[in-house]
Amino acid sequence: MAVQTFKLPKSLKEGAKFSFCPGCDHGVAVRILAEVLDELGLTENTITATSIGCSVTIYDFINVDAIEAPHGRALAEATGIKRARPDKCVFTYQGDGDFASIGIGESLHCALRGENITAICINNTTYGMTGGQLGPTTLLGQKTTTSPTGRNVEYYGYPIKIAEHIALCDGTAYSARVSLDTVANIKKAKQAIKKAFEIQMKGLGFTFIEILSTCPTNWKMTPEQAHDRVRNQMMEVFKPGVYKDITAEKTV
Amino acid sequence: MECLQKTKKKVLMKGNYAIANAAVMAGCECYFGYPITPQSEIGEFMSGKMQELKRAYVSAESELAAINMVIGACSTGAKAMTSSSSCAVSLMQEAISYASADELPIVLVSVMRGGPGLGNIYPSQGDYNQAVIGGGNGDYQTIVLAPSTVQECVDLTYKAFYLAHKYKNPTILLADGLLGQMMEPVEFTEYPYPEIDNSSWALSGAKGRNGRIIRSYAPLAENQCVFLNKLYGKYKQIEENETEWEEIDTEDADIVLISFGSPSRNVKSAMKICRKEGLKVGFLRPITLWPFPSKRIAELSKKVKMFLDIEVNMGQMLKDVKLAVNGAVPVEFFNRPVGNPPEVDDIVNKIREIMK
Amino acid sequence: MEKNFVIAGFGGQGVLLAGEVLANAFMLDNKNVTWYPCYGAEMRGGTVNCEIVMNDTEEVSAVNLKEADFVVALNQASVERFVSKVKKGGWMIANSSLAKEIKTRDDINYVFAPMTKMAEEIGNIKMTNILALGIAAKVSKLTSIETLTNALDNVIPPHRKNLLPLNLKALKIGYEYDLLHA
Repeated sequence: MAVQTFKLPKSLKEGAKFSFCPGCDHGVAVRILAEVLDELGLTENTITATSIGCSVTIYDFINVDAIEAPHGRALAEATGIKRARPDKCVFTYQGDGDFASIGIGESLHCALRGENITAICINNTTYGMTGGQLGPTTLLGQKTTTSPTGRNVEYYGYPIKIAEHIALCDGTAYSARVSLDTVANIKKAKQAIKKAFEIQMKGLGFTFIEILSTCPTNWKMTPEQAHDRVRNQMMEVFKPGVYKDITAEKTV
Repeated sequence: MECLQKTKKKVLMKGNYAIANAAVMAGCECYFGYPITPQSEIGEFMSGKMQELKRAYVSAESELAAINMVIGACSTGAKAMTSSSSCAVSLMQEAISYASADELPIVLVSVMRGGPGLGNIYPSQGDYNQAVIGGGNGDYQTIVLAPSTVQECVDLTYKAFYLAHKYKNPTILLADGLLGQMMEPVEFTEYPYPEIDNSSWALSGAKGRNGRIIRSYAPLAENQCVFLNKLYGKYKQIEENETEWEEIDTEDADIVLISFGSPSRNVKSAMKICRKEGLKVGFLRPITLWPFPSKRIAELSKKVKMFLDIEVNMGQMLKDVKLAVNGAVPVEFFNRPVGNPPEVDDIVNKIREIMK
Repeated sequence: MEKNFVIAGFGGQGVLLAGEVLANAFMLDNKNVTWYPCYGAEMRGGTVNCEIVMNDTEEVSAVNLKEADFVVALNQASVERFVSKVKKGGWMIANSSLAKEIKTRDDINYVFAPMTKMAEEIGNIKMTNILALGIAAKVSKLTSIETLTNALDNVIPPHRKNLLPLNLKALKIGYEYDLLHA
C-alpha cells in the first residue's frame, strides 16, 4: 500500500490557522479548494469575491486576491471582476443564506447569463455566524433559534434545493451537490470542484457546487453526530449528485 | 443614437448621451446598469457602444447588482460605472458605503427625479442629501460633481473618472432630469487627465506576491480607528485640492445668490437683470457639492449683507450654506419643491423683496 | 439677443423632432442654443412640447422661460395652452387645419396656415412638423433655409435618409408660404 503524505496546499497561507468551530466542514472545504487551485496551477491567476457569514474568513486562509462583497452580492462583484478581466479565474465562496436567500437574484441571474465563474455554496441549513437562525435551506422540522418549535410549512414555507434550481438555468454548465461526511465523499467533492474550475477556464458557462456541511455548534451536536445528520437527514432532502454537466452531455 | 468618439465640431446632444459618450472617451471599460427614467439613454447608448468597442456592458438584474458589479470591476483597477436615478440610487447606498471603505474608484451618475418614494419623473434636486451626505452606514464621504450645462456633463464626467481614480474614492456625477433630457451643442476633447497607476492595489492575481484583500471588515476597534483617521486625512486633502465653484460679481455684492445644477442658469440670469437695475447682486455656484466651497462662502459672509440660496427641493444645500455662513449674516431661501427651475422673474422678485 | 420658441402639438406630430432641427440650425449658425422638453401637468392625452432658446452671446441661457417670442402650435389644445405665453409683439404660428382661426389677443401677431392640409398635398401628413418649422423660420428671420437644410440632414438618422427629400420639400413649402395671406 502506497503511503500518502499529507501536505498543506500551497494555495493556503503559511501558518494560517482556521478559525472555524471544531467539527465544522468549512475547514475541509477550504482545504480541498486550495488543493484544486494548486493542482490546476490557478493560484496566481485567481480573484475571489467572498461573502458574508462564516465563509467570509476564507480570505484569511487562502492566498489569492480577494474582495469582500456585501451580503448576497458576491456573484455581482464576481461578474464585475470577470467582465473586467476575462482571463482571470474567478470564484465565490458563499453560505446558503448568502447564495440562496439574500443573494438569490444575483445567483440565478449570474447562472442565467452564463458567467464564466465558479460558485461554491456551503449549505449547513442555518445562519451559522449569527447564532443558528432559520435559513433558506433549514429542513422541515429543524429547530433553530428562529424556529424554536421546528420548521413547519404553514409558518415558514419550504427549504430550497439549490443545485437543482441552478441546473435549470440555461447558462449553467455544471451544477453538483456534494458532501464532506466521509473520505470517499470528500474525494468526490474535490473532483466536482476541480471539474467546475476546468469548465470555467474553458469558458463554457456558470459552474456551481453545493457542499452539504455541518454546523455542530449551532446544531448542538458532536462532529460525529453532525455528520450522521448530514447523511440521514440532509441527504434525504438534498440528494448528492451531478444535476447538470454540459461536458458529459456532449460526450453522450 | 449615433455612437460618437472625439468630435472636432460641436454636436447637438442630450445630456444623458453626452455623459455616456464622455464616459466612453474617458476610457470606461465596464458599464453595469438597470433602467430608470430619466436616465435610461445612458444605458441604451452604452449597450451598443461598449459591445462595439469590445468593452463590458451588463444589463444587471437590479441596481444592487449593478453597483456591486461596478465594485467588482473597480477592484481590478478598471474604470467602471453605473448610472441611475433617485429611488434606485437609494438601493445603492450600501454598496457606496462598502466602496468608500474599500477605497474603490466607482463612478455613479445620478440623474435626479422627483421624490420621496417613487415620486415622479420631473426634474428635481431632491437628492443633494442622498449624494452629499449619503444613506449608507458609517463615516464616509463621496465626491459629488454637479453640472449645469450639457457641456459640463461632458467635462465633469471626465473629471469624475479622474478624481475617483486619483483618490480611490466613490465619485458621483449629480445631474437632474432636465439636464439629462436637455440638448445643447457639445464638444468632446481627448480625456484631459493623466491615467492613474493602480498596480499597487488592484486585484490581478497573486503572481509573485501574496494575495491582496480588499475588505472593510475590521474586527478590532483600534484598527478601525486607524483606518478612519487615515480615510479622513484623505478627505481633507480632497477638500484642500479639489473644491471648485463658479463665482461672478461678488466683489461689491450686498447679496450673493447660491445655486447649483441646472437651476443656477436661471439664478445667473436673474442676477444679471438685478445688476442692470443697479442692485449689487453676486453669484456663487458650487461645482463640487462635496467638497463644498464652505471656506469661500465663509469669507464672503464677512463682507456681504446676506445670501439667497435657491434650489429645486425643500432646502438641502441650504444647511451647508448656513453652516458655512455660521450666523454671520441672514441666509434667505427660495425654492420650487420639484420640477423645472423657478422662473427668472420670480427669482428677480424675490431678490427685490429681500433687498428692500 | 436671446429668442425662444415653443413648439407644441399632440403626440406623434413630430414636435420634438422639429425642435431638434431648429436647435441644430442655430448650432450650425454658431449660436448658443438649448433644447428641452417642457413637462406639462398632463402626461397622456395632452400636448407634447419643447422649448428652444437661442442667444448670440457667450452666455448660457436660462430655461423654463415665462414668455416665448414664437409659439408654433400644431393643434387647438396647444393654441389654447400657449397663447398666453406669447410675448407682447411675439408670434403665434398655428396649424389652422386643426385649430380655430380665432385671435384672442390683439397684442401679438398671428399666422394661421393649414399645415396638415398642405402636408397632405405633398403626400405625407407626417411632414406637418417640418412644414410648420419652415413657416416659423421664415417668420422669425433667425435662420436660413440653407442652414435648416443642413440641420435636417444632421438630425435625420442614416436609416431614414430616404425621407430627406420629402422633408426638404416640406421645409421649402413652409418657408415660402405666403405670410401676407396667413
